[in-house]
Amino acid sequence: MIRDIGVIFRREMGAYFNSPIAYIFIIVFLVLTSGFYVNGFFLAGTADMRDFFDSLPLFLIFFIPALTMRLWAEEQRMGTFELLMTLPMRPLAIVLGKYLASLAFFGIALASTLTIPLTLAWIGDPDLGAILCGYIGAFLLGGLYLAIGICVSGFFRDQIAAFILTLLACFFFFLAGTQFVAALLDGWVPGFGTFLQEGFGLTAHFEGIQRGVLGLNNIIFFVLFSAVFITLNTLSLEGRKY
Amino acid sequence: MIEVRGVTKSYGTTVALKDVTFSVQRNEILGFLGPNGAGKSTAMKIITTYLAPDSGTVTVDGIDVTKDPLAVRTRIGYLPEIAPLYADMRVLDYLEFVAKARGLIGVKLHERLEWVYDATSVRDVLYKDVSELSKGYRQRVGLAQALVHDPDVLILDEPTSGLDPRQIIGIRNLIRSLSKTKTIIFSSHILAEISAVTDRIAIIHEGRIVADGLAHELREGARKVNRTIVELARADGDAGPALRAIPGVSAVDRMNHGTGAYLVSSPLERDVRPEINDLARSRGWVLLELHTETPTLEEAFIELTGKEASA
Repeated sequence: MIRDIGVIFRREMGAYFNSPIAYIFIIVFLVLTSGFYVNGFFLAGTADMRDFFDSLPLFLIFFIPALTMRLWAEEQRMGTFELLMTLPMRPLAIVLGKYLASLAFFGIALASTLTIPLTLAWIGDPDLGAILCGYIGAFLLGGLYLAIGICVSGFFRDQIAAFILTLLACFFFFLAGTQFVAALLDGWVPGFGTFLQEGFGLTAHFEGIQRGVLGLNNIIFFVLFSAVFITLNTLSLEGRKY
Repeated sequence: MIEVRGVTKSYGTTVALKDVTFSVQRNEILGFLGPNGAGKSTAMKIITTYLAPDSGTVTVDGIDVTKDPLAVRTRIGYLPEIAPLYADMRVLDYLEFVAKARGLIGVKLHERLEWVYDATSVRDVLYKDVSELSKGYRQRVGLAQALVHDPDVLILDEPTSGLDPRQIIGIRNLIRSLSKTKTIIFSSHILAEISAVTDRIAIIHEGRIVADGLAHELREGARKVNRTIVELARADGDAGPALRAIPGVSAVDRMNHGTGAYLVSSPLERDVRPEINDLARSRGWVLLELHTETPTLEEAFIELTGKEASA
């Protein structure tokens, strides 16, 4: 099982870096996130990364679907889906191999923004603990979006459809967690907005981690929902035969 | 060994396979013949565990494909209709990926890769990107991935499509040599392709197996009447009525108008050649040609698939 995951993982990592996707993605991600951050940084004049992490949940809603939309659609298009499904591997191993590769790739993109805290440490005295927590939160957040993306991609042969639906699904998790939407829904159906916010909203959990509260419940939220979508993807692969 | 028993498979409301039963022994090649869309690929996808049958059972070396698909997959090498290649990889990396995914490691991995480069003649393109390959090379790399782990069972869906005649002969020879130790099913919609490789043919049409047997049996089975070809010279005018008058002759058709050739039909068990010879002598005609036509596999194929279509 571990060996199978490794074989798929290496092939997927190769796919990212053998094509221009990886380089374009990292450059655009870096330019946009740092650009927006630096803009506010000079206005506020404080050595923290608050604004950077605050904007991530929204930024990633657009970036992650672009990364995941091809994960299964491309296999279908090239005919390699049939090869994967007839390899002596459990579907879970294949899904995990693909997922972990996308997570590793996202990790690399995220790590490329480490120039920001390095600059901060050089010119000021930032709270490095808070920044580390922010990065852990961002990694978990990306992990959840990627799991949603790989799952949605499994249902669609068309990349554009996979992109849009992943975007909407991620947006749901984002919106459900905002105070504004929760209050609005509560106004229509009392308790419903709060229920969505507590059950599905990622904002509170992400902000919690970012503030330095690594709390188990916050981590479990991201890991659990990621696991749910990975399982769904695996089940859809097994059910496809019938 | 592959055993398919009473397999039915539908896609939505379209029935792709209806109660299909056949088996292939070890050291045997089964040529799977049928028009496009007849169900060949569906049957192969079920054997390779890519799809599950709606009903019926399929076993590979005694293992049920729905109960232990992983064990079946380790035994099978599969070339789908479209060679499953990653366009972004080099041929070398691609084959190594498949070999590792198939569980090969160390010396064995290296040995099998070396073997397969030569067996499928892909050595010249090892360092090329898959996306740069011609159709013929794509097909051969596809075949290489199916062979790399030395499987006991080979399922090849149209393995020779897109190859030039020289390459086709190479692949045919390879398949024949592999059959000494393996169970092989290969499909084609071209009869000549199948009869060049194997004698055992199953014809599939509209989801049913309409014939399963050796080539000569199928030929004989298709023959409904005896057809004798006669070519005469110096026959004054039309020899037709005289031929028609021979007892047992059911029809006489003039072939290639203008020449003295006729097609004489008679019941299967009735050979009218001696009478035709006698007739020609008595009338002073010269017999240029006299032979009973051997039915072709093509006729058998059209007979079988045509009959089913109208039924």
